[in-house]
Amino acid sequence: MNPLAASKPLPRINPDNQPFWDYCRRHELRFQKCLACGHTRFPASILCPRCYSREARWILSEGQGTVYTYAVYHKAFHPAYADELPYVTAVVALSEGPHLLTNIVGCLPKEVYCDMPVTLVWEDIDGSFSLPKFKPVRQDAR
Amino acid sequence: MNFKDRYAIVGIGYTPQGRFVDRTAMSFHVEASANAIMDAGLDRKDIDGLMCYRQFSPKPGEEEVTPYDVAERLGLTPTMLSQEANCARSHLHHALGALEAGLCKYVVLSYADTSLLGTNSAFQYYDDKAVFGQLATVGEYALAAQRAMHTQGTGPETWRKIAVSQRKWAHLNPAAIMHQRPMTDKDYDDAPYIVEPFRLPDCCLMNDGGRACVITSVERARDLKHPVVAITGLGQHNSSRDIQTSTIMDGPSGAKISGETAFRMAGIAKEDVDACQIYDCFTYTVELTLQDYGFFGPGEGKDWFDHGRIAPGGSLPVNTSGGLLSEGYFMGLTPLSEAVMQLMGRCGKRQLGPETGTRTPEIILCSDNGGVFQTHATAILRRL
Ligand SMILES: [Zn+2]
Repeated sequence: MNPLAASKPLPRINPDNQPFWDYCRRHELRFQKCLACGHTRFPASILCPRCYSREARWILSEGQGTVYTYAVYHKAFHPAYADELPYVTAVVALSEGPHLLTNIVGCLPKEVYCDMPVTLVWEDIDGSFSLPKFKPVRQDAR
Repeated sequence: MNFKDRYAIVGIGYTPQGRFVDRTAMSFHVEASANAIMDAGLDRKDIDGLMCYRQFSPKPGEEEVTPYDVAERLGLTPTMLSQEANCARSHLHHALGALEAGLCKYVVLSYADTSLLGTNSAFQYYDDKAVFGQLATVGEYALAAQRAMHTQGTGPETWRKIAVSQRKWAHLNPAAIMHQRPMTDKDYDDAPYIVEPFRLPDCCLMNDGGRACVITSVERARDLKHPVVAITGLGQHNSSRDIQTSTIMDGPSGAKISGETAFRMAGIAKEDVDACQIYDCFTYTVELTLQDYGFFGPGEGKDWFDHGRIAPGGSLPVNTSGGLLSEGYFMGLTPLSEAVMQLMGRCGKRQLGPETGTRTPEIILCSDNGGVFQTHATAILRRL
């Protein structure tokens, strides 16, 4: 294993975000949907910010969305990212409603644009974590 | 509650600013606060409130600063101590609330840091976003700016004018960290991207140093040595949305309601403002703040910043010390202290008025902003 890759930040599990990352490991992108008012929320929280109901169900995302915005890192703020420059961070607006900060992969940084349709791909870090990332939906998708 | 012209900023404390490997953040807090107290002509025994801005993570070997430790080193035993966590920007509201409630008569507000770029805050992103390489504040503001490029057509052409204009102000300020480091349009265009769409000159400085001020009632201010600079308008609004969930990253940010609140209290219109000191963590922050304050419509900044409007000699000077981009980073105290010094007429070569071919200021609009447009505060200062 690349020693630099190994030193990248990993999710810091706490009781709030543990279900999210547990589902990710099974390659399921899930968000909490309020059983009282129907609002879908992310990040995970103990109650619904709209109606304060604590009853929620973890709904499965279809993994389809658009790029709400993005940025291209040209400087490594952590040594483990030096080999990946330039890389793209993005906020993806999912069809279920939530916005998710993630990466756009599978294309060049200059090919990314706001409102670009994207679809979910999984990146397995190691046995414990999988990261939900997104790639362009292309007519010629392979 | 209406605080209009009831409270005044009566002293400003400066310290050396730049890079000082032999100094602690504590030493800058103490120096800045002591200088502010002495600048106001007060004695330490007068001070009964001490509020510290956020303490960035201390560098290795340095303890985290807390207000009571600062108070001890200043010989204070205040009625009130406070420190805001992270980037809430309610300091002035808290200070004026404590004065209004009679808890305090003289409140010191202090900020200090030994940031030494790259050793602390830029690396300490522990949330779930860090696993995607979202590791620095510049990356979050870049996301916001990119969205505004998409929805409003802003971009580097607008931001270049802000960065270059502020650098011209810094050239008139011997204490500015970027003093005698002129920047042309081409210098801006040739600068490297940090996180695209931001280049290096779009980003504020990170530096060592401290800054402080003293706040009291206008009545007490009249007995002190400087011209009275009153807080004539005050506003605050906090969208409290992380960049991941934000839908206000291209405006209107909290600046809109905060600004409207402050203008309403002051009973003035934006045409009455002689100059602005705008919290400028990034160039885009200046654009969005002025846009949300109503100086121009969405995306119109490209033309509005033309013809040196905000530069020396311009019709609406902005960030006349050089600002966070070119003077030094002291959170909201960079803009606030510069507004006070300008209204007191103590700014030397950069003094607004005949010296710089600008209007002699009576009213200056200041902003403070925290998180990624998660918090916003507005203060309008007036020379009485
Ligand atoms: Zn609900």
